Amino acid sequence: MQQRRLEFGGRINRSEPIYFSFNSQHLVGYAGDTLASALLANNINLVSRSIKYHRPRGIISAGLEEPSALVACADAHGVFIPNLKATEVRLKNGLVARSQNCWPSLTFDFGAVLQIGSAILTAGFYYKTFMWPRQWWHRVYEKLIRRIAGQGRITYDADSKRYDKRNINCDTLVIGSGPRGLRAAISAAESGAEVILVEQDQEFGGSALWEKRPIDSTPVDEWLDEKLSRLKQYSNCRSMINTLAFGQYDHGLILAVEQNPGNVEAIYWRIRAKKIVLETGATERPLVFANNDRPGIMLAASVRQYINRYAVKPGTRAFIAITDVDERQITEDALQQAGITVAGSLSEGEKIITTRGWQCLRRVQLVDKQGVEKSLNCDLMCVSNGWTPNAHLSAHLGDKQAFTSSPGESSNLQQHLSGRGKAFVDLQNDVTREDLELAVREGYDQIELAKRYTATGMGTDQGKTSWTNAIVELARISGKDANAIGLTSFRPPYSPVSFGALVGADTGAQMTAVRRTPFHRIFSESGCVFQTSGDWLYSRYFSNDSNETMDQAIRREVLAVRNGVGCVDMSTLAKVDVKGRDALEFLSRVYCNNLDSLKPGRLRYVLMLREDGILYDDGTVTRLDDSHFLVTMTTANAARSWQWINKMSQLQWPDLDVQLTSVTDHWASLAIAGPESRKLLAELRPDFDIDKDSLPFASVRQGMLDKEIPCRVFTVSFSGELSYEINVPAGFASRLFSRVLESGSPYGITPYGLETLDVLRIEKGHISVGTEIDGRTTPADLELGKMVSGKKGFIGSSLLQRPALKLHDRPQLVGLKPADGKTPIPPAALLTAAPWQAGKIQSSIGKLTAAVESPTLGHSIALALLNNGHQRMNEKLWAVSPLNNQSVEVIVGPNCCYDIEGSRLHG
Amino acid sequence: MLLIPCPNCGERDEREFSYGGRAIKYPDLNALASIQAWHEVLHLRDNSTEVIRESWYHHSGCECWIEITRNLMTHEFES
Repeated sequence: MQQRRLEFGGRINRSEPIYFSFNSQHLVGYAGDTLASALLANNINLVSRSIKYHRPRGIISAGLEEPSALVACADAHGVFIPNLKATEVRLKNGLVARSQNCWPSLTFDFGAVLQIGSAILTAGFYYKTFMWPRQWWHRVYEKLIRRIAGQGRITYDADSKRYDKRNINCDTLVIGSGPRGLRAAISAAESGAEVILVEQDQEFGGSALWEKRPIDSTPVDEWLDEKLSRLKQYSNCRSMINTLAFGQYDHGLILAVEQNPGNVEAIYWRIRAKKIVLETGATERPLVFANNDRPGIMLAASVRQYINRYAVKPGTRAFIAITDVDERQITEDALQQAGITVAGSLSEGEKIITTRGWQCLRRVQLVDKQGVEKSLNCDLMCVSNGWTPNAHLSAHLGDKQAFTSSPGESSNLQQHLSGRGKAFVDLQNDVTREDLELAVREGYDQIELAKRYTATGMGTDQGKTSWTNAIVELARISGKDANAIGLTSFRPPYSPVSFGALVGADTGAQMTAVRRTPFHRIFSESGCVFQTSGDWLYSRYFSNDSNETMDQAIRREVLAVRNGVGCVDMSTLAKVDVKGRDALEFLSRVYCNNLDSLKPGRLRYVLMLREDGILYDDGTVTRLDDSHFLVTMTTANAARSWQWINKMSQLQWPDLDVQLTSVTDHWASLAIAGPESRKLLAELRPDFDIDKDSLPFASVRQGMLDKEIPCRVFTVSFSGELSYEINVPAGFASRLFSRVLESGSPYGITPYGLETLDVLRIEKGHISVGTEIDGRTTPADLELGKMVSGKKGFIGSSLLQRPALKLHDRPQLVGLKPADGKTPIPPAALLTAAPWQAGKIQSSIGKLTAAVESPTLGHSIALALLNNGHQRMNEKLWAVSPLNNQSVEVIVGPNCCYDIEGSRLHG
Repeated sequence: MLLIPCPNCGERDEREFSYGGRAIKYPDLNALASIQAWHEVLHLRDNSTEVIRESWYHHSGCECWIEITRNLMTHEFES
């Protein structure tokens, strides 16, 4: 039974009832309703409690400007979404809505006792009151205030709804489909332009949906039908309802969210338009008078909208307080047609003293020019203090607005009367005229200051109905011009947008790309445990059986490489094919090493510096031919390094004849390492000689394995053992791995992963990007000064000569071992001269970059950057970890602590 | 969010590019005496509000580096 529904008229569909519930009450509305219109049709106007004083609040408006009718609605999964405006919630079957900010119930709210003490709950109350005792803030006050204050409660569950993102371009984008927007869209479409028309409402038409004045001498309904059918004829015009354009950005970019497009919850649209037409309309301003927040006091145009569009009577007996004469007239007409009695209208010289009523409006009290008071019974009040343009989207690009006349003067109603109750300026944040007066008294008379002090204009409505009134009030109180008070900055979003919509489908596994190496499938069949490393899913370690822990697996893998043979995936290293007449010159400028002496068939470990002389990346340069090179770069820097060398060739030295091709994905790369690796390679039957003299360390051979697998074999080692890096075209990866396992079993072939790779390189003191190459170190700091060529210029060669980079007390790479030969060195520790003592401050003289248990040496080892480290060999220091309250005495040594002469490399 | 005129691909969204900073011309790589020249090119920049010459890498397009001139106040590009 919809007591307040009109029998005829409106744009709702009476043949399609919609069943919903509000605060457990089962109700019926019609298709086309919003939650607000359906509640009003069911004679419900008490919807929520206010944020601070817990005053009863109703529906003020009919759109996204709504400050007070905030509700929580359950989504399809039963999760309540808080702080939705009842005026924006489209009614659908099974909708479950409930009030917020009230306990135990909306009609009997315990928090309402706050009204009794409300005289002291002024602006800045919390800051001023809960200062003392100081310790009580966290323990008592904050918890108490958080319970009482604030809007709806959010859920901590993941959002299981689906969202999408799309991009679209057009010639003309029209935002707003009121009469002006429709005309603009049609004439743009007529000209042949690609047009997009977006409308945040669930129907096109804007004010033509409820204002009954004829347009172009045509009855408005006819006019609207004609325009909408014409719009449909243009295939070059895309019209979107339920689509909120919420932000404007540079170069014609508009961001918008389309609600309920069908298969997903919302679509986040990025619209690029050559021309943007803003037809975003205006927002009506309420009046500021005592007790202007009672349910039943509504914006005049919203009352007309409820009557004419939703066929709802928001009341039975109305009082009119509208500044504009024309608007007063059309409102009276609308009320009379709906059968609502007009109890009276505020006339020139009259003032509203206050309103009465328990949980809704019952009576309004007035005083006339002569000072005679009178009282009128009413349950609806239509208020309007004029209109403010919705210029937010143009303000997003920095356009400034200003008042051309004082907005206070244009109003012929003097509403200011104090002393008979709270006169609210901002209903959502419970900011009253007294709060603004207090703010001015305390010096916060600029709008940006008053906003932050009182919270005016904050919240889910962003002050759409309050900001102009706040400026008018501040101007009046401080005696300044409204333009001197200033405007707050409008920033996107124009109206709240859910995070779900902004994130789109980029959640969970779709959040970021996953790259798998060519060995991935066969590794996962071989007990490989993977880990993410950047975008890569990389082998971490290989598990023999389920009882083996990771530490045990690492130990097994390390010892296999040191004593037999292991194999590891090296495919993630960036590989760049460099060709051209000037390829050698190009690489000589990019890398600090001397490359002139590099002969075809040989390779070299190389370092790349930044322009400022700091070490950036390491890798290898292999000379395949006179003017043909293969370069490897570290996995972590792969994308950046590729961009960097391209920048050099394209922008800095376009005159050099050099072609760069990324071949990372073309090659699968498996390194076999360990004393038995040459024997294993022989088992793969290469068609080239692999003995020590034919294939020495730091060389390359191309040929075939088993007469059918094309390969390049590089003798390069990260582990310090004799090692062959076998590159085969990516499609041969599984075959190569199977062959290596099969032929390697007599030698104890053991696949290993990133963890073991790391242990092996720390034992050898090899550096790594992100730990030792940390954006602060030079080659000399890392004992690699010999590699820097003094004979040529390269990127970084000049600034590497800066005196500060040559100081003797720079942090330098050293190795550490425990003084007692057994205590584990804590990772990420600092180096100090004395053990850690709580409360005692001492400065650190270095930091650890890596610390592991070395299965080869049988004790803990670490790498560290130690001030003047190269001159501190055999010194005893302390590795301290204040977090663990741990200090371990360590001995400084060379960074390489295994096979220092490097004889194992050559086998 | 800029619309960047790529000479190969036309006007494309900023998200297809990565920024390469100001366009700078390297001083002589060889001369040791050029520390000051490198320092000036690399570290001493005018903080003007006028136009700057800058480089962009079109990673999701032609994979080319481009240099363009942009007005920092209006974001207008000049070719």
